[in-house]
Amino acid sequence: MNEMPHTSLPPAAMNAPAKMRTRDLSFFYGAREALKSISLDFLENQITAIIGPSGCGKSTLLRALNRIYDLYPGQRAEGEILLNGENILSPGVNVAYVRRRVGMVFQKPTPFPLSIRDNITFALGHFERLSKADMADRVEEALRQAALWDEVKDILGRSALSLSGGQQQRLSIARTLAIRPQVILLDEPTSALDPLSTNKIEELLDQLVRQFTVIIVTHNLQQAARASQRTIFMYDGEVIEAGVTEEMFMAPRERRTADYISGRFG
Amino acid sequence: MTDSLPSSEAKQARASEAADRAFRWLTAAMALAVLVILGATGFSMFWGGRLAFQTFGLHFIVSTDWDAVSHQFGALIPIYGTLVTAAISLIIGVPASFGIAFTLTETAPRWLRQPLSVAVELLASIPSIIYGMWGLFVFAPFMAADIEPWLNDHLANAPVLSTLFTGPPIGIGMLTAGIILGIMIIPFISSVMWTVFNAVPPQLKESAIALGATRSEVMMKVTLPYTRNAVVGAIFLGLGRALGETMAVTFVLGNAHEFAKSLLMPGNSIAAVIANEFTEADSPIYTSSLIALGFLLFVVTFIVLAIARLFLYRLGRIEGARP
Repeated sequence: MNEMPHTSLPPAAMNAPAKMRTRDLSFFYGAREALKSISLDFLENQITAIIGPSGCGKSTLLRALNRIYDLYPGQRAEGEILLNGENILSPGVNVAYVRRRVGMVFQKPTPFPLSIRDNITFALGHFERLSKADMADRVEEALRQAALWDEVKDILGRSALSLSGGQQQRLSIARTLAIRPQVILLDEPTSALDPLSTNKIEELLDQLVRQFTVIIVTHNLQQAARASQRTIFMYDGEVIEAGVTEEMFMAPRERRTADYISGRFG
Repeated sequence: MTDSLPSSEAKQARASEAADRAFRWLTAAMALAVLVILGATGFSMFWGGRLAFQTFGLHFIVSTDWDAVSHQFGALIPIYGTLVTAAISLIIGVPASFGIAFTLTETAPRWLRQPLSVAVELLASIPSIIYGMWGLFVFAPFMAADIEPWLNDHLANAPVLSTLFTGPPIGIGMLTAGIILGIMIIPFISSVMWTVFNAVPPQLKESAIALGATRSEVMMKVTLPYTRNAVVGAIFLGLGRALGETMAVTFVLGNAHEFAKSLLMPGNSIAAVIANEFTEADSPIYTSSLIALGFLLFVVTFIVLAIARLFLYRLGRIEGARP
């Protein structure tokens, strides 16, 4: 279906329009301020990597962007998060609606204890009424997009738990893709995977960014350098530097960025 | 290979190997002891009941007789009462336990979780004789005065239900006993449930939420399938307790050796018969019949647990082999 040839060229426009923005976004775990007045743009059809030492707030930022933090009492965000210009933090916003547009993939693969097929239909059922045939089409489409179809097409009824770690992670991505989001958030999606599976996922991101806006948190600087068009360096709840990936890795403007990417701390 | 090692090291290696072997034998012996004790208990009850089995044969299991004067004994009424009261207790206890566990893990505010869970655990520590007394002096009169007249008024014309839920409002009976058993097994089922619900990785729940699922959908489609084995195990733990519970049901079941379709009627359970009549058993055949009843409880419990295992096994197979 969407088999596109793999290229290493970054998708065209380096100055694409912003798909998501944050304006003076602060985030609190109880009284502790984990994000301090962050203003950022995430450009459409680009991969933005967020890097920084542990505890710098990069995962917190990701968790704010689809309001998954809502689950936990005591966690709250202030400021604005704009998706297509609409503030998703404003009180009247339907959270499920936000999450349909902003999908999320976690560090560890999170297959549900259901069949491979049902892992994907689980997501579809929440937003759309689909006929059986349409449902099957969407399952195939999502699995193809996640480059998993060829490996699982004959075992769709088998438990998702029987897949390998790398396959499980691609299933998690397929599940997210199935609901056709606009933005995909990935929280260290390859840190639990072997190099081969990591490679597959990075290739996959290259494909996905043609249709989606991708934001990825990573501990792996090479991954950020390889896979992203833009990079954000965070430290202690603040954005130290944000810009085009190549420039940032070649000639960082800030001293702390230079120290971090050269491995002097973090 | 140890030959090539210096002798002190070889000695050390041999010693720790011997210690390891001793440890394995010791633990294996403990595990084996359980089987031996179980087998011995079962056999000694069978042996104690052999006079009854010899005298009445298989008829003992299907007979509703219980006549101490003419020495005619049958186990059907107590078996029936045991199964019916246990079934009622599950119908009440399982949904209630599930609700408690769901609330405790998902929706209760943090400050309420601790007190609520302690309260449920306290429920487990109340001795069953207290449940029995409470059942007899408080709950049975309440059933007689309020619940049972209401049932008689409203279900008199309902098919099936009128057979089960209408009858003389005397308070004590199988329904009352089943409800009390239900309350008694709640802490056992709910504490296991909420422990395993809490053990579900938060990321798994978060991914479901991130896909637009509500909390109840997460529970039904992610948490429950993930914890299925433990949840079924919890239910059967409760069932095992309900089947064997003695004191509480002895007080409120009514000790009646008559077959009744209505759940408002008094009945009997295996454990209650034994508790009530052991002191009165004045002939060898009477005593033997009571012990044989104990053996049958053993068998009934075993069958129920075996069915549970089979059920889980088949569920697992269906899941694994679906095309």
